Amino acid sequence: MGFNVGVDIGGTFTDFCSVGDDGRSTVYKTPTTHYDLSVGFMRGMHELGKRSGLAAREYLAQVHALRYSTTVGTNALIEHSGPKLGLITTAGFEDTIFIGRSRSWADGLPVHEARDMSRIVKPLPLVNPDMVVGIHERIDCKGNVIAPLSRQNVLDKLQQLVDKGAMGFVVSLMWSFLNPEHERMIKQIIEEEYPEDYLGAMPVTLSSEISPKAGEYTRTMTTVVNAYIHSIMAENLNRLGNELRDGGYTRPLILVHNTGGTKKVSRTKAVLTHNAGPVAGMYGSTTVGRLCGYDNIVFTDMGGTSFDIGVIVSGELRAHDFIPVIDRWRTNIPAIEVKSIGAGGGSIAWINELMGNALEVGPQSAGSMPGPACYDKGGNEATVTDADLVLGYLNPDNYLAGEMLLDVELSRQAIETHIAGPLGISVLEAAHRIRRLVDARMGQEVFNEVALKGHDPRKFVVFACGGAGAAHACGYAPYVGARTVVVPAVASVFGAFGASTMQIRQVWDVSRTMKLFRWDKQAYLDDLDGFNKVVHDLKDLAVRDLRLEGFREEQIEFCLQLDMRYGSQYNMTKIETPRLVLQGVEDVHELCELFTRCYSEIYSPEAAFPVGGINVECFYLAASVRQERAEFHKDSLSGADALKALSGSRPACFDPAAGLMDTPVYNWSALMPGNVIHGPVLIEAPETTYVIERGWTYTMDPWRNGILKQNA
Amino acid sequence: MKTPPTFRYGRDFEVVQRLRPEPMTEREQAAQHLIEGLEFEIFQHKAGMIALEGKETTMKLGASTAMRWGDVAFGIYTAQGDLAICATGIYHHAVLSQLPMKYIVKHWRDDQSVGLREGDSFFFNDPFYGGVHNADMGLAIPVFADGELICFIGAAVHTGECGGSEPGGMVNGARSRYDEGLLVPPIKIGEHFVLKEDILAMLSNMTRDPRTMILDIKARLAACRIAERRVNEIVSEKGADFYVGALRKVLKITGEAARKKVSRLNDGVYRQPRFLDTTGPEDALLKINLTVIKKGDKIKLCFTGSSPAIPDRPVNSYFQGIIGLAMVYFCGWFFHDLPANNGLLECLEWEFPEDTFVNAKGDMPVSYAPATQVAFAQGMFMCAARMVYSIDPKRAVGSWNSGFAVTPFGGFNQWGDPIADITPEINATGAGARPDMDGVDSAGAFFATMSDCGDIESMEADRPFVYLFRNFFNNSYGHGKFRGGSGVGFGMMVHGVPWVAIGGMGFGTRFPATLGIFGGRAAPTVFVQSVHGSNMGTMMAEGNLDLPCNMGELYGETSNETGTRVLGHVSSPPKPFLGGDTIYVPVSGGAGYGDVLDRDPEFVIADLRRNLVTSDAAERIYKIVYDKSTLRLDAAATEVARSTARDERKRTAKSFDDFNRSWQALRPKPEVLRYYGAYPDPAAVAGGAAL
Repeated sequence: MGFNVGVDIGGTFTDFCSVGDDGRSTVYKTPTTHYDLSVGFMRGMHELGKRSGLAAREYLAQVHALRYSTTVGTNALIEHSGPKLGLITTAGFEDTIFIGRSRSWADGLPVHEARDMSRIVKPLPLVNPDMVVGIHERIDCKGNVIAPLSRQNVLDKLQQLVDKGAMGFVVSLMWSFLNPEHERMIKQIIEEEYPEDYLGAMPVTLSSEISPKAGEYTRTMTTVVNAYIHSIMAENLNRLGNELRDGGYTRPLILVHNTGGTKKVSRTKAVLTHNAGPVAGMYGSTTVGRLCGYDNIVFTDMGGTSFDIGVIVSGELRAHDFIPVIDRWRTNIPAIEVKSIGAGGGSIAWINELMGNALEVGPQSAGSMPGPACYDKGGNEATVTDADLVLGYLNPDNYLAGEMLLDVELSRQAIETHIAGPLGISVLEAAHRIRRLVDARMGQEVFNEVALKGHDPRKFVVFACGGAGAAHACGYAPYVGARTVVVPAVASVFGAFGASTMQIRQVWDVSRTMKLFRWDKQAYLDDLDGFNKVVHDLKDLAVRDLRLEGFREEQIEFCLQLDMRYGSQYNMTKIETPRLVLQGVEDVHELCELFTRCYSEIYSPEAAFPVGGINVECFYLAASVRQERAEFHKDSLSGADALKALSGSRPACFDPAAGLMDTPVYNWSALMPGNVIHGPVLIEAPETTYVIERGWTYTMDPWRNGILKQNA
Repeated sequence: MKTPPTFRYGRDFEVVQRLRPEPMTEREQAAQHLIEGLEFEIFQHKAGMIALEGKETTMKLGASTAMRWGDVAFGIYTAQGDLAICATGIYHHAVLSQLPMKYIVKHWRDDQSVGLREGDSFFFNDPFYGGVHNADMGLAIPVFADGELICFIGAAVHTGECGGSEPGGMVNGARSRYDEGLLVPPIKIGEHFVLKEDILAMLSNMTRDPRTMILDIKARLAACRIAERRVNEIVSEKGADFYVGALRKVLKITGEAARKKVSRLNDGVYRQPRFLDTTGPEDALLKINLTVIKKGDKIKLCFTGSSPAIPDRPVNSYFQGIIGLAMVYFCGWFFHDLPANNGLLECLEWEFPEDTFVNAKGDMPVSYAPATQVAFAQGMFMCAARMVYSIDPKRAVGSWNSGFAVTPFGGFNQWGDPIADITPEINATGAGARPDMDGVDSAGAFFATMSDCGDIESMEADRPFVYLFRNFFNNSYGHGKFRGGSGVGFGMMVHGVPWVAIGGMGFGTRFPATLGIFGGRAAPTVFVQSVHGSNMGTMMAEGNLDLPCNMGELYGETSNETGTRVLGHVSSPPKPFLGGDTIYVPVSGGAGYGDVLDRDPEFVIADLRRNLVTSDAAERIYKIVYDKSTLRLDAAATEVARSTARDERKRTAKSFDDFNRSWQALRPKPEVLRYYGAYPDPAAVAGGAAL
């Protein structure tokens, strides 16, 4: 039997999921070994083998594909442990990355920090200012060379960088995405001066290759981030690859991309691995959604410090128009958007005295160290987890599968001291309010995320993942307007599950302005060849790349998306086109109508302005390889009666006026597909607790997913 | 229905006085008991989410520079017109947009010929109600529940071109308000959820860039409609009573919190005169005599002693615009931890004397009011730093650059489309220095804190320019123990078109725009350079390597660039630039903090390495001794140099009386003072000295 394995390394735990050819999943969770991620990784492989009844070597030899959401690159950015890079740019624009469009101080900051204007600070740059040189050359907005490149000028500047110890070069020139001639010339000069077979050879990264998109700051930062994490990732992944090979794994290691697909390590741009874990979780949602019959899904993942949100429309991961910020750096990668807000089990509750003793939850978090008060690791603030414990939802003796004992008395003290006492209410009431407030805020954030993408949140099903998702979903789903929640069977390792099922897919993108409908002439584009050539070139890149992975062109499916705008608008609206090639003016007309239709649906018909001109500004060609989707083991349904799984009861509070009420507790592992349970109840799974509130009904489906429905 | 009062055909002086929250209505009062703590907190978050969605949508759909790289004031206003919820960094537009709402309530709600109905939309740009200048335009919609008006939703943002006698939205040569283009008091532009095409045709016909005008209007409207849907959802779930009561409660508790916070400050009188060096078209000295009186839980702003109004120059400001800019400081700095809404104004009082240029009246032009307003705001920073120091010293900070450096332009772009707008580097100024660190280099614009200066490629894509450089501008900030954040300088060459009109708006060429704090120095004066008949294009084509790469290099003794070079005030009327002509514009940095001799010498060396300070300034101002080839600090020699400098200060020091005597004996030239009023106290002669 073979296995598809997904691995998702997080800040606290590394998650593993192995799906066998029989469709059965095996999961494992182990603390992340930050000192050397491969230690935890290999431990997980051994454990998966063990749980599959195989020796590690035997198991690894039977793994079809090992897909990995790595954080190695992200860690290098946070730790500033990348190499000393030299940046070569157009003379006159050496400060571009330090100016950072002037508001780089806010990129990656939560809103409340960005409002305290007295204390703003720009992040420490990834390239030292003295490692930036300007080359005299210039290309204009139509791609014309208006100042030529001088080889001697390049050599002089190159020497400056080499003398200062450059370990690699990033080349990012003005308008290079439109005309990369000068960037390529510089690369050629560097390679001539420092040939590959000499020790002095250094990697050269061109912005026109990493990110051929308009906007010099974001293009340069995308390229810088890529170069900054490239060598660290390569070294780390090569080492891991060797260990896996030594351990019996014979296939290439595959990386999960934030664009919603996977590629072999050797065919991966480093910058596309950032934040891949949550994207894998979103992909897993599409897989489970297909099984359960849901295709408009909002993926949520509530952990200890953050709450991730991802929107899935029509069963597909789609790129939306947003600004991908990696750590503190604005980039333009065609990533799938995952919004992360500061809300989780560790979020701290506090009283805002200035605002009339208003209760607040977060954004500060106790994290995992010291963590909530009940962890008894020195934390004494009242957190969401403390509230959950005081309300009786969590089992103090069976938290994280019994790996951690919780002290409910410490939770009570923290809530009494910081919340209940100052507000003059009972501890139970205070805990109830903390929970409701954090649930409301999460739900409202989810609502906004869906709405901002032009969709009606009420038409979406909430997928609740992460350690705390099942405990809070009934609380936040109503604020989304969702009446159905799915808690996947493997919710606590859902990123790893998603990774294990992901397909080969990559996006090739390029900025090109095409005036589909001209305002001045009120006429449609007649240069169809120009449009078609852009698509053809992207397709050519995709085919050549995927051939190197061993796929034939017939196996590849293409999907073209366009960033479009009216007239002089700056921001874009992304449209999926019905065809790759424009055959005649009627196709242009159709595309324009499609844009206006989508625009009107998202922003209202009043907002549409077709006579103002319609431009295409960016092309995205997604290439996917048709592969057979995994089949998952499906149990036959037993009856609705879940009595056999009833493990006992404990006092829990669903209404502070009623106080703690004896509440049934079910053992998730003993539940059978088809079982139906009406709230209020608690269901204890190995790594999470389901809190089924009054008015909600839980049903276990044939794949052991929990389907929670709010009664009409 | 009421009989229409006749004053609606002129301006309404009563409504613009109503900047503070209206009294709580019986309806709002009756609903207060419904607003339970937790539900209210959940409501506040939801309302904030609605405003955020509206703001992001507006920016996403808009087209003008301010929409592209700027900031939108998106707010929810009570049924009486008070701003309750907003998402923005341009707080003045959010706060001031309440005036058009109050105007609509007062004049149109009960008017038979206009009325207020579901599906209506209103447009406005008269600065008398918007408070700033004509280029700032807004749109509002009333929201109803079962036929009852429950709130307004509005979006305001600078559109850039408003059909004045000069392109770009700021009319340097305006002699009256009639030169400034569109002047629309709140007017209904849509009914039954449909915009009226005849009105749109009229508005677009009166500007140079009709497409941007329409896109911006549609952007505002679309965002308001989305927010309206969200409000309706709250109302259907919680009821109109809850919604109306909760909006009011937001105002109430914000006002209480603001007063509580103000009461923690030391009582006192804080003075900061501010000076402008332009009336718009000409150099002249003008004074804003700001006195801030803090007593109990109130802060009062007084302007007695400010220069007279100038009936035919655009530098006048309506008083409401000044208050709007005060709110920029309060919302972004002092009250950064409180909701931004009208309630904050409960702690604010003001006194604007008649016949001063900070209290424009009649037909006076106000195109350059933003300059006057930011000049005032800098005084607000300086007074507030002294007020705040005792309770929160880390937030006693120097001001950001307040001189502007706007470059309006107009003509046709390289694609043949008409354009008229401003350059985005208005959003690239340096921040003020702090008690414990330098100001942020090129941080943005203090009055639009969510804005940025965009990518040059985005600018060049549909503007007829090639940037020659955009880099930090050394010495562009105030020096000090901690220096102000560096500004930038940019050079542009007209490219791809035969000609385009370019002007300038701002101040700080003759008199520093941004003063230092607690011994820190002012950001230096700056000027714009332009070269007509430039050979820059030819030099570039020939591969010349000796081209300027930053503003500092333009100050060298030689330049290869030939042509007619003009050094001018940052404020200038638009004039034609032919293809190949160049312009170089400085965007200044922030104020310095503390004594320059207390600056860590290693910080100066670090700035030398980054070319953020010149060797001249390092030696003469900071008294640093170092090896010029290696930039290695000679710490001992530096200490000696600094000690000598301190001794020299003591030797040349004067008593205050001596200084005052010698200072009072000095007097600027008469032509500099022609609009100033009596010197030194403009108020000493009734009526001032306006020509």
